[in-house]
Amino acid sequence: MSESEMTLQAGHAAALEPSPYGIQSKKLTMWLFIISDAVTFGAILFGYAYLRAGTPDWPTPFRFSSGIVNGLVMTFVLLTSSLTMLAAVVAAKQGRKSSCLLWMSATIVLGIIFATLHLREWFHMFAEGWSLSKNPLGGPVQFGATFFSITGLHLMHVISGIIALIVIASGYNTDWLDAGHVETTGLYWHFVDLVWMFVFPLLYLMNTAR
Amino acid sequence: MTDTKPQPGMKEYITIWIGLLCIVGIETFLTTLQLSTHRLLAALLVLSFIEAGIALLYFMHLKYEKPNLFWSLVPAVIFVLFMMNHLWPDAYRMLSLRVPIQ
Repeated sequence: MSESEMTLQAGHAAALEPSPYGIQSKKLTMWLFIISDAVTFGAILFGYAYLRAGTPDWPTPFRFSSGIVNGLVMTFVLLTSSLTMLAAVVAAKQGRKSSCLLWMSATIVLGIIFATLHLREWFHMFAEGWSLSKNPLGGPVQFGATFFSITGLHLMHVISGIIALIVIASGYNTDWLDAGHVETTGLYWHFVDLVWMFVFPLLYLMNTAR
Repeated sequence: MTDTKPQPGMKEYITIWIGLLCIVGIETFLTTLQLSTHRLLAALLVLSFIEAGIALLYFMHLKYEKPNLFWSLVPAVIFVLFMMNHLWPDAYRMLSLRVPIQ
């Protein structure tokens, strides 16, 4: 009797069953995390839209020359970081380690630039008097609460992603981790980018003074 | 245990990246037009969903996985997000309950 047959008889058949999705378990786990996180962001963005629809004098603090241009630069940086992450995944799958590490480093740098621009904007708004419970324009205070909560949650994802990228790049460099880990981290990074595709129009473009 | 279909190369990714940037450009242009809040919101949401769909299918490779992964994940998320819309009438109730501004 072979070793696998003995294992089957011991009741471990499920452990040998191939994945119905044809992907590694770590990638499936990341997908499950992503859909749960998508619902979380969906819920808070819905909450924001609910408050905005129910508040006739909702503030529109962003000017095109400052807030929107800054948001556009942040969007460009994050979209470009997705492209560099894709380049890293392609290189990892082809076994080009140095190229993969280079592209991962570029992704990390772009992530740091995004976070810096975001924090700079936050501090600028703090200086103007905005906070979770204050509106310097004199209208409803919910704008600050929703804006800082939603962008804060997204920023936390970006910072977590940067840390994850550093850890994965280090592990991949020392052969502790493989191309599958790089791809799974890339999946997370693209999701962070995907969320921003909703945050930027709903929180910035919809709140532009017209 | 690998993906079932051949995946695109960097040339295709760069084309998709440019396409996504163009959609962001269109979104920003719409903001400069004097559209009503509801029309602007509808237009931005449509464009955002297109962007997200492209990112999901190409950047996140969902198009190149087995179809059962897509069918196991995406309809459930869409269903949950759709069900949240049942709360909308309450947002408009809040508007009608407000004391009129003199």
